Amino acid sequence: MPARRRTLLKVIILGDSGVGKTSLMNQYVNKKFSNQYKATIGADFLTKEVQFEDRLFTLQIWDTAGQERFQSLGVAFYRGADCCVLVYDVNVMKSFENLNNWREEFLIQASPSDPENFPFVVLGNKVDVDGGNSRVVSEKKARAWCASKGNIPYFETSAKEGINVEEAFQVIAKNALKSEEEEEIYLPDTIDVASGSQQRSSGCEC
Amino acid sequence: MASDSNSSPSITDCTDQNPNPNEVTDHLTTLAITESENAIVDEVDSNQEDSVDIANGSLDVNYDQNDDTQVEEELPTGSVLVSAEVEVVEDVRERNSSGGVDNGIDNSEHEIDVRLSPSSSGYAGERGTSSATSNSGIEEVEEDGNVITLQDSSIDAVADSASWVPGKRHVDEDDASVSWRKRKKHFFVLSHSGKPIYSRYGDEHKLAGFSATLQAIISFVENGGDNVKFVRAGKHQVVFLVKGPIYLVCISCTEEPQEALKAQLELIYGQMLLILTKSVNRCFEKNPKFDMTPLLGGTDSVFSSLIHAFSWNPATFLHAYTCLPLAYPTRQAAGAVLQDVAESGVLFAILMCKHKVISLVGAQKASLHPDDMLLLANFVLSSESFRTSESFSPICLPRYNPMAFLYSYVHYLDVDTYLMLLTTSSDAFYHLKDCRIRIETVLVKSNVLSEVQRSMLDGGLHVEDLPIDPSLRSLSLSPHLGQERLTTDSLERFIEVDHGIGGPAGLWHFIYRSIYLDQYVSSEFSSPINSSRQQKRLYRAYQKVYASMHDGGTGPHKTQFRRDENYVILCWITQDFELYAAFDPLADKALAIKTCNRVCQWVRDLENEIFLLGSSPFSW
Repeated sequence: MPARRRTLLKVIILGDSGVGKTSLMNQYVNKKFSNQYKATIGADFLTKEVQFEDRLFTLQIWDTAGQERFQSLGVAFYRGADCCVLVYDVNVMKSFENLNNWREEFLIQASPSDPENFPFVVLGNKVDVDGGNSRVVSEKKARAWCASKGNIPYFETSAKEGINVEEAFQVIAKNALKSEEEEEIYLPDTIDVASGSQQRSSGCEC
Repeated sequence: MASDSNSSPSITDCTDQNPNPNEVTDHLTTLAITESENAIVDEVDSNQEDSVDIANGSLDVNYDQNDDTQVEEELPTGSVLVSAEVEVVEDVRERNSSGGVDNGIDNSEHEIDVRLSPSSSGYAGERGTSSATSNSGIEEVEEDGNVITLQDSSIDAVADSASWVPGKRHVDEDDASVSWRKRKKHFFVLSHSGKPIYSRYGDEHKLAGFSATLQAIISFVENGGDNVKFVRAGKHQVVFLVKGPIYLVCISCTEEPQEALKAQLELIYGQMLLILTKSVNRCFEKNPKFDMTPLLGGTDSVFSSLIHAFSWNPATFLHAYTCLPLAYPTRQAAGAVLQDVAESGVLFAILMCKHKVISLVGAQKASLHPDDMLLLANFVLSSESFRTSESFSPICLPRYNPMAFLYSYVHYLDVDTYLMLLTTSSDAFYHLKDCRIRIETVLVKSNVLSEVQRSMLDGGLHVEDLPIDPSLRSLSLSPHLGQERLTTDSLERFIEVDHGIGGPAGLWHFIYRSIYLDQYVSSEFSSPINSSRQQKRLYRAYQKVYASMHDGGTGPHKTQFRRDENYVILCWITQDFELYAAFDPLADKALAIKTCNRVCQWVRDLENEIFLLGSSPFSW
């Protein structure tokens, strides 16, 4: 394997609308935060180069729209993902409860080869809001759910304050990379002339 | 046999609107000549009625029974000046940019800085990352009419392919770069999960977001049970080609026909298969995350060279190959020794000189598609390592069998001439090496190689050599036409004026494609089609005509006579051949038709030398 081979990792961000998916991504990629809410239409795409354990790789981040009307795009968007980030708002119980749906929907649509061990990361966002007083989902509850789903790494983040964002994406990259290790073997055939007519040219206009 | 009666009774003319508004507008502003947009399209249509020409993207409906001479009379004399002066301007630009083949990167960058036009600084500033960009880069800019800079080092047709260096361009760019966004023609390859595989310009990884967007567009339409094929957005055309898990996209504002761009995407896909076979599909089936890029490592030059060929090699749109002109016995001698080898377990034996075939032989019943030959030759010619040693490499001929590899033994016999022996056996290297030694010995002994080199030096057919009768010549070189060129701006003119202006009746160039042989012959470029940019423009014009002639909706057509401010293009298709000819924009139509007949006769007279005849490897 070439030493300086670069890897591209496709990362999907899922979660209910308004939980701060786009803000997290903007904080991570552009180090910016805006209080204004702009609904993502379909999906947004950002790239970020990351150095990790002496390797350079590119995160291709798919920031999807949380609204249900965009869910028909599922297969197209989820196909070939290396990691899936599930985001909820610690101040909105419903967004936490929906994590299960998001996870299952992803596994159905993306149908990864090893669903049990597919790398997810869960982010509880907006921990900064109201000094934590409006919080309704406890860290304990969230961690319990993550543990029950095969020890999904969990982070409490604030896209606004930039809390834990960098750390979370480090783990996202690390986990995505882990599953990439099993190399695909590419073994094409050789033409067997002896086996008769199979070798006829398809492009020959007779 | 061609005949005048074929054309005269059935001619319909239509006055075309200016085919390329931007371009002409620009000329107008430069030259302050107002009548130049009177371009005329004369179409001789097989069915004569309601023939619609869509080559320019606008519909030009013919009206019948219009006498063509009338139309020609309406042509303003100003247009002579237009064509002449435009050329002058071009020549000046070329000379200014005299960077030359040997000049390094620094030089061309300086030139850019010096001649930046203020309005387009963003674009031009990015243009000089390497001197090798010169050809493709500039020509693209040129087409817009926005003349910014020129680093075009090649002045001759001959210099064209020699000065072009294959390889990736502008790796530092991404979709946020102004320069990247202004490039005229992008090609992208990506996987069905949106991972980038190849981009003509810019770094694939930096373009990951862009390729994700492309994937989203394609998938969105697919989700609705449909397929997106083509989008027009202002000046840009976006052409999509979905090949299983591999998506190919071209984004272009070159005004090439959509079909032509799609055919180019097909060739890029074919080139990819040639390197990897269709087995990559299985990798995607097993693992949609599959990243193809490492498998294509080191092949940037193969793709950039193919994309470059889209603007200089007519084989890319004619789907035919061309032969190096050789005396019949010489080619026979080469064919005979290849035949010997083919009987000893070699599937195809191909002897080529650059992109021209000297001879080729296929084992029984095996046939080789011209597109496969194009892709194979491009692969070999663009990979430097083939030149330095004898090589044994797995390759796939996508038209022959896209699923599996063949093995190709490649050896250069001299600097331009190379032998390719294709086999199905992965351990045939030493056998093929022996074959090569035998072949090489015979070729040297029978002087084939020296004949090849001589032919390379002599070049192919020259329009000036077209046999004519004297009366024709005096007619064709109408005095004002020749002199205008000399006087308009004699200071700025090149010496090339002395070479005259092409062949009889204002014939500048032609391509003759034999349908039965799947081969074409193209005349050498000569004045006034000198620069690679002009050649590219002519090829694009041919390509347009090709597309309109082969358009399923309005065609097939038999003849087309198209006149614009650059040239007259005459296309003539019969059961046996297709002829594409370019004339001086003021060429007389009747004379042009006569000249085309002569060209066909000439080609037929020479067919023993310019085509590979006889034991055709094509099994129809």
